[in-house]
Amino acid sequence: MTWVRIDNRLIHGQVIETWLPFTGARTIMVFNDDLAEDEMRQDIMSLAIPNGVDIQFLPLRSASSAWGAKSAKAGAKAAEGGEALILFATCQDARRAYESGLLFDLLNVGNLHFEPGKRQVCPHVALTNEDEGCLDFFTGKGVRLDFRCVPGDPTLVRSYK
Amino acid sequence: MKKDSEDKRPVGVVVVTHTDYGAALLRAAECILGPASHAATISVDVSLPVEQTIDQLRQALKDVDQGAGALIMTDMFGGTPTNLSLSLLGERQVEVITGVNLPMLIKGLSARTLPLAQLAEDAKAAGLSGIVVAGQMLKSRTDKKAAGGERA
Repeated sequence: MTWVRIDNRLIHGQVIETWLPFTGARTIMVFNDDLAEDEMRQDIMSLAIPNGVDIQFLPLRSASSAWGAKSAKAGAKAAEGGEALILFATCQDARRAYESGLLFDLLNVGNLHFEPGKRQVCPHVALTNEDEGCLDFFTGKGVRLDFRCVPGDPTLVRSYK
Repeated sequence: MKKDSEDKRPVGVVVVTHTDYGAALLRAAECILGPASHAATISVDVSLPVEQTIDQLRQALKDVDQGAGALIMTDMFGGTPTNLSLSLLGERQVEVITGVNLPMLIKGLSARTLPLAQLAEDAKAAGLSGIVVAGQMLKSRTDKKAAGGERA
Protein backbone atom coordinates (compact mmCIF):
# COMPACT_ATOMS: atom_id res chain seq x y z
CA MET A 1 0.00 0.00 0.00
CA THR A 2 1.29 3.46 -0.80
CA TRP A 3 0.51 5.87 1.97
CA VAL A 4 1.01 9.63 1.87
CA ARG A 5 1.27 11.38 5.23
CA ILE A 6 1.85 14.88 6.53
CA ASP A 7 3.76 14.77 9.80
CA ASN A 8 5.83 17.67 11.08
CA ARG A 9 8.14 15.24 12.88
CA LEU A 10 8.57 13.09 9.74
CA ILE A 11 10.28 9.92 11.08
CA HIS A 12 9.52 9.05 14.72
CA GLY A 13 8.08 6.35 16.97
CA GLN A 14 4.48 6.44 15.71
CA VAL A 15 5.64 6.21 12.10
CA ILE A 16 8.11 3.38 12.70
CA GLU A 17 5.98 1.37 15.12
CA THR A 18 2.52 1.82 13.62
CA TRP A 19 2.40 3.19 10.06
CA LEU A 20 5.27 1.11 8.74
CA PRO A 21 3.67 -2.22 9.82
CA PHE A 22 0.19 -0.95 8.86
CA THR A 23 1.19 -0.10 5.30
CA GLY A 24 3.70 -2.93 4.84
CA ALA A 25 5.89 -0.37 3.07
CA ARG A 26 9.47 -1.40 2.31
CA THR A 27 10.45 2.08 1.19
CA ILE A 28 10.12 5.39 3.01
CA MET A 29 10.41 8.50 0.87
CA VAL A 30 10.87 11.71 2.83
CA PHE A 31 10.39 14.78 0.65
CA ASN A 32 11.87 17.72 2.51
CA ASP A 33 14.25 20.36 1.21
CA ASP A 34 16.05 21.08 4.50
CA LEU A 35 16.55 17.43 5.32
CA ALA A 36 17.73 16.54 1.81
CA GLU A 37 20.79 18.73 2.48
CA ASP A 38 21.44 17.71 6.07
CA GLU A 39 23.29 14.38 6.21
CA MET A 40 23.67 14.47 9.98
CA ARG A 41 19.89 14.64 10.56
CA GLN A 42 19.37 12.00 7.86
CA ASP A 43 21.76 9.66 9.69
CA ILE A 44 20.00 10.28 12.99
CA MET A 45 16.56 9.64 11.47
CA SER A 46 17.81 6.49 9.73
CA LEU A 47 19.14 4.89 12.92
CA ALA A 48 15.84 3.38 14.01
CA ILE A 49 14.61 2.27 10.59
CA PRO A 50 14.19 -1.53 10.63
CA ASN A 51 16.49 -3.68 8.50
CA GLY A 52 15.11 -4.30 5.04
CA VAL A 53 13.36 -0.95 4.83
CA ASP A 54 14.89 1.52 2.42
CA ILE A 55 14.80 5.20 3.29
CA GLN A 56 15.32 8.09 0.90
CA PHE A 57 15.60 11.80 1.70
CA LEU A 58 14.73 13.82 -1.37
CA PRO A 59 14.23 17.47 -2.29
CA LEU A 60 10.70 18.48 -3.25
CA ARG A 61 11.65 19.39 -6.80
CA SER A 62 12.41 15.70 -7.42
CA ALA A 63 9.06 14.45 -6.04
CA SER A 64 7.49 13.59 -9.35
CA SER A 65 10.57 12.05 -10.98
CA ALA A 66 11.60 10.09 -7.87
CA TRP A 67 8.10 8.69 -7.47
CA GLY A 68 7.94 7.89 -11.17
CA ALA A 69 11.26 6.02 -10.97
CA LYS A 70 10.14 4.12 -7.88
CA SER A 71 6.81 3.15 -9.47
CA ALA A 72 8.51 2.02 -12.68
CA LYS A 73 10.96 -0.14 -10.72
CA ALA A 74 8.10 -1.68 -8.72
CA GLY A 75 6.18 -2.24 -11.95
CA ALA A 76 9.11 -4.18 -13.39
CA LYS A 77 9.14 -6.39 -10.32
CA ALA A 78 5.41 -6.66 -9.88
CA ALA A 79 5.63 -9.17 -7.05
CA GLU A 80 7.33 -6.58 -4.87
CA GLY A 81 4.47 -4.16 -5.33
CA GLY A 82 4.79 -0.42 -5.13
CA GLU A 83 4.41 -0.04 -1.40
CA ALA A 84 5.91 3.14 -0.06
CA LEU A 85 5.37 5.47 2.82
CA ILE A 86 5.67 9.04 1.57
CA LEU A 87 6.22 11.75 4.17
CA PHE A 88 5.89 15.52 4.03
CA ALA A 89 6.44 17.92 6.95
CA THR A 90 3.83 20.48 5.86
CA CYS A 91 0.60 20.82 3.85
CA GLN A 92 2.43 23.20 1.52
CA ASP A 93 5.14 20.63 0.72
CA ALA A 94 2.49 18.00 -0.02
CA ARG A 95 0.74 20.46 -2.33
CA ARG A 96 3.97 21.35 -4.16
CA ALA A 97 4.65 17.65 -4.76
CA TYR A 98 1.08 17.02 -5.93
CA GLU A 99 1.16 19.99 -8.30
CA SER A 100 4.46 18.77 -9.73
CA GLY A 101 2.90 15.40 -10.57
CA LEU A 102 3.12 13.15 -7.50
CA LEU A 103 -0.58 12.29 -7.48
CA PHE A 104 -2.47 10.46 -4.74
CA ASP A 105 -6.14 10.02 -3.72
CA LEU A 106 -5.76 9.88 0.03
CA LEU A 107 -3.78 12.17 2.29
CA ASN A 108 -3.16 11.26 5.92
CA VAL A 109 -2.88 14.44 7.99
CA GLY A 110 -1.03 12.98 10.96
CA ASN A 111 0.80 15.49 13.10
CA LEU A 112 0.72 19.26 12.69
CA HIS A 113 1.40 20.60 16.12
CA PHE A 114 -0.11 23.63 17.71
CA GLU A 115 1.65 26.97 17.54
CA PRO A 116 0.25 30.41 18.41
CA GLY A 117 -1.99 31.58 15.59
CA LYS A 118 -3.04 28.06 14.60
CA ARG A 119 -6.49 26.59 15.08
CA GLN A 120 -6.65 23.20 16.78
CA VAL A 121 -8.92 20.84 14.79
CA CYS A 122 -8.13 17.64 16.69
CA PRO A 123 -5.60 16.72 19.40
CA HIS A 124 -2.70 16.25 16.98
CA VAL A 125 -3.57 18.71 14.22
CA ALA A 126 -3.61 22.51 14.31
CA LEU A 127 -4.00 24.54 11.12
CA THR A 128 -3.10 28.02 9.89
CA ASN A 129 -5.32 29.72 7.30
CA GLU A 130 -2.74 28.76 4.70
CA ASP A 131 -2.95 25.10 5.79
CA GLU A 132 -6.73 25.23 5.45
CA GLY A 133 -6.41 26.66 1.96
CA CYS A 134 -4.03 23.85 1.15
CA LEU A 135 -6.42 21.16 2.41
CA ASP A 136 -9.22 22.88 0.42
CA PHE A 137 -7.01 22.51 -2.62
CA PHE A 138 -6.73 18.76 -2.00
CA THR A 139 -10.44 18.20 -1.38
CA GLY A 140 -11.09 20.22 -4.55
CA LYS A 141 -8.92 17.70 -6.42
CA GLY A 142 -10.93 14.83 -4.98
CA VAL A 143 -8.22 13.78 -2.51
CA ARG A 144 -9.72 12.24 0.62
CA LEU A 145 -8.33 13.51 3.91
CA ASP A 146 -7.64 11.10 6.76
CA PHE A 147 -6.88 12.73 10.12
CA ARG A 148 -5.59 9.65 11.91
CA CYS A 149 -2.56 10.12 14.15
CA VAL A 150 -2.05 6.34 14.46
CA PRO A 151 -3.80 3.55 12.49
CA GLY A 152 -5.86 2.49 15.51
CA ASP A 153 -7.64 5.86 15.65
CA PRO A 154 -11.24 5.91 14.39
CA THR A 155 -11.13 5.78 10.60
CA LEU A 156 -13.78 8.45 10.37
CA VAL A 157 -12.26 11.34 8.49
CA ARG A 158 -12.66 14.42 10.64
CA SER A 159 -13.69 17.70 9.20
CA TYR A 160 -11.21 20.54 9.53
CA LYS A 161 -13.78 23.26 8.98
CA MET B 1 -14.46 -20.24 11.64
CA LYS B 2 -14.59 -20.46 15.41
CA LYS B 3 -11.04 -21.75 15.50
CA ASP B 4 -9.79 -18.79 13.48
CA SER B 5 -11.23 -16.24 15.83
CA GLU B 6 -9.90 -18.19 18.80
CA ASP B 7 -6.42 -18.12 17.29
CA LYS B 8 -6.60 -14.37 16.94
CA ARG B 9 -7.40 -13.67 20.57
CA PRO B 10 -4.75 -11.34 21.96
CA VAL B 11 -2.36 -12.36 24.69
CA GLY B 12 -2.97 -10.24 27.80
CA VAL B 13 -0.19 -7.99 29.06
CA VAL B 14 0.48 -7.01 32.68
CA VAL B 15 3.37 -4.73 33.62
CA VAL B 16 4.50 -5.26 37.20
CA THR B 17 7.01 -2.78 38.63
CA HIS B 18 8.36 -1.03 41.70
CA THR B 19 5.90 1.87 42.22
CA ASP B 20 4.04 3.26 39.19
CA TYR B 21 6.80 2.99 36.58
CA GLY B 22 4.65 0.43 34.73
CA ALA B 23 1.64 2.75 34.55
CA ALA B 24 3.79 5.57 33.15
CA LEU B 25 5.38 3.16 30.66
CA LEU B 26 1.96 1.98 29.49
CA ARG B 27 0.87 5.61 29.01
CA ALA B 28 4.00 6.20 26.93
CA ALA B 29 3.33 3.11 24.80
CA GLU B 30 -0.30 4.20 24.28
CA CYS B 31 0.92 7.61 23.17
CA ILE B 32 2.76 5.84 20.34
CA LEU B 33 0.37 2.98 19.52
CA GLY B 34 -3.01 4.36 20.56
CA PRO B 35 -5.14 2.85 23.36
CA ALA B 36 -4.25 -0.72 24.38
CA SER B 37 -6.88 -3.28 25.34
CA HIS B 38 -6.38 -6.17 27.76
CA ALA B 39 -3.38 -4.49 29.35
CA ALA B 40 -2.92 -3.71 33.03
CA THR B 41 -0.24 -2.45 35.37
CA ILE B 42 0.55 -3.31 38.97
CA SER B 43 2.45 -0.96 41.23
CA VAL B 44 4.30 -2.94 43.85
CA ASP B 45 4.55 -1.07 47.14
CA VAL B 46 6.95 -3.07 49.29
CA SER B 47 5.40 -1.66 52.47
CA LEU B 48 2.12 -3.46 51.71
CA PRO B 49 1.51 -7.12 52.63
CA VAL B 50 2.76 -9.44 49.89
CA GLU B 51 -0.57 -11.32 49.73
CA GLN B 52 -2.41 -8.11 48.88
CA THR B 53 -0.16 -7.46 45.86
CA ILE B 54 -0.41 -11.07 44.71
CA ASP B 55 -4.21 -10.85 44.86
CA GLN B 56 -4.10 -7.70 42.72
CA LEU B 57 -1.85 -9.45 40.24
CA ARG B 58 -4.11 -12.52 40.14
CA GLN B 59 -7.10 -10.28 39.45
CA ALA B 60 -5.22 -8.37 36.72
CA LEU B 61 -4.23 -11.61 34.99
CA LYS B 62 -7.82 -12.79 35.12
CA ASP B 63 -8.98 -9.48 33.62
CA VAL B 64 -6.54 -9.42 30.69
CA ASP B 65 -6.41 -13.13 29.80
CA GLN B 66 -8.72 -13.77 26.85
CA GLY B 67 -7.83 -17.44 26.63
CA ALA B 68 -4.47 -16.99 24.91
CA GLY B 69 -2.60 -16.50 28.18
CA ALA B 70 -0.85 -13.47 29.58
CA LEU B 71 2.62 -11.99 29.39
CA ILE B 72 3.90 -10.38 32.58
CA MET B 73 6.61 -7.78 32.09
CA THR B 74 8.57 -6.86 35.20
CA ASP B 75 11.10 -4.12 35.76
CA MET B 76 14.10 -6.04 37.15
CA PHE B 77 15.22 -9.64 37.41
CA GLY B 78 15.66 -10.46 41.09
CA GLY B 79 13.35 -7.70 42.32
CA THR B 80 10.13 -8.19 44.29
CA PRO B 81 7.78 -7.52 41.32
CA THR B 82 9.56 -10.33 39.43
CA ASN B 83 9.60 -12.70 42.39
CA LEU B 84 5.88 -12.19 43.03
CA SER B 85 5.10 -12.70 39.34
CA LEU B 86 7.15 -15.89 39.17
CA SER B 87 5.14 -17.32 42.04
CA LEU B 88 2.06 -17.34 39.74
CA LEU B 89 3.73 -19.21 36.86
CA GLY B 90 2.00 -22.48 37.68
CA GLU B 91 -1.50 -21.06 38.12
CA ARG B 92 -2.40 -20.20 34.55
CA GLN B 93 -0.86 -19.78 31.11
CA VAL B 94 1.66 -17.07 31.91
CA GLU B 95 5.17 -16.09 30.85
CA VAL B 96 7.32 -13.60 32.76
CA ILE B 97 9.84 -11.36 31.00
CA THR B 98 12.11 -9.06 33.00
CA GLY B 99 13.75 -5.69 32.33
CA VAL B 100 10.76 -4.04 30.68
CA ASN B 101 11.47 -0.98 28.56
CA LEU B 102 9.42 0.95 26.01
CA PRO B 103 10.53 -0.99 22.89
CA MET B 104 9.74 -4.27 24.66
CA LEU B 105 6.31 -3.09 25.76
CA ILE B 106 5.50 -1.74 22.29
CA LYS B 107 6.41 -5.09 20.73
CA GLY B 108 4.45 -6.94 23.41
CA LEU B 109 1.36 -4.85 22.72
CA SER B 110 1.55 -4.81 18.94
CA ALA B 111 2.25 -8.49 18.18
CA ARG B 112 -0.23 -10.01 20.62
CA THR B 113 -1.83 -12.50 18.30
CA LEU B 114 1.40 -14.52 18.33
CA PRO B 115 1.50 -17.55 20.62
CA LEU B 116 2.58 -16.57 24.14
CA ALA B 117 6.05 -18.15 23.99
CA GLN B 118 6.82 -16.54 20.63
CA LEU B 119 5.52 -13.16 21.80
CA ALA B 120 7.81 -13.35 24.85
CA GLU B 121 10.83 -14.10 22.63
CA ASP B 122 10.01 -11.28 20.21
CA ALA B 123 9.42 -8.82 23.05
CA LYS B 124 12.78 -9.74 24.53
CA ALA B 125 14.52 -9.23 21.18
CA ALA B 126 12.82 -5.84 20.72
CA GLY B 127 13.80 -4.78 24.23
CA LEU B 128 17.43 -5.74 23.64
CA SER B 129 17.73 -4.19 20.20
CA GLY B 130 16.21 -0.98 21.53
CA ILE B 131 19.32 -0.44 23.64
CA VAL B 132 22.05 1.23 21.61
CA VAL B 133 24.82 3.69 22.31
CA ALA B 134 23.42 5.99 19.67
CA GLY B 135 26.37 8.36 19.30
CA GLN B 136 28.72 5.44 18.75
CA MET B 137 26.37 3.82 16.22
CA LEU B 138 26.08 7.11 14.35
CA LYS B 139 29.85 7.58 14.36
CA SER B 140 30.51 4.10 12.97
CA ARG B 141 27.99 4.72 10.18
CA THR B 142 29.55 8.08 9.33
CA ASP B 143 33.04 6.52 9.36
CA LYS B 144 31.88 3.73 7.05
CA LYS B 145 30.36 6.26 4.68
CA ALA B 146 33.59 8.31 4.66
CA ALA B 147 35.63 5.18 3.92
CA GLY B 148 33.23 4.29 1.10
CA GLY B 149 33.60 7.81 -0.29
CA GLU B 150 37.39 7.52 -0.39
CA ARG B 151 37.20 4.26 -2.32
CA ALA B 152 34.82 5.73 -4.86
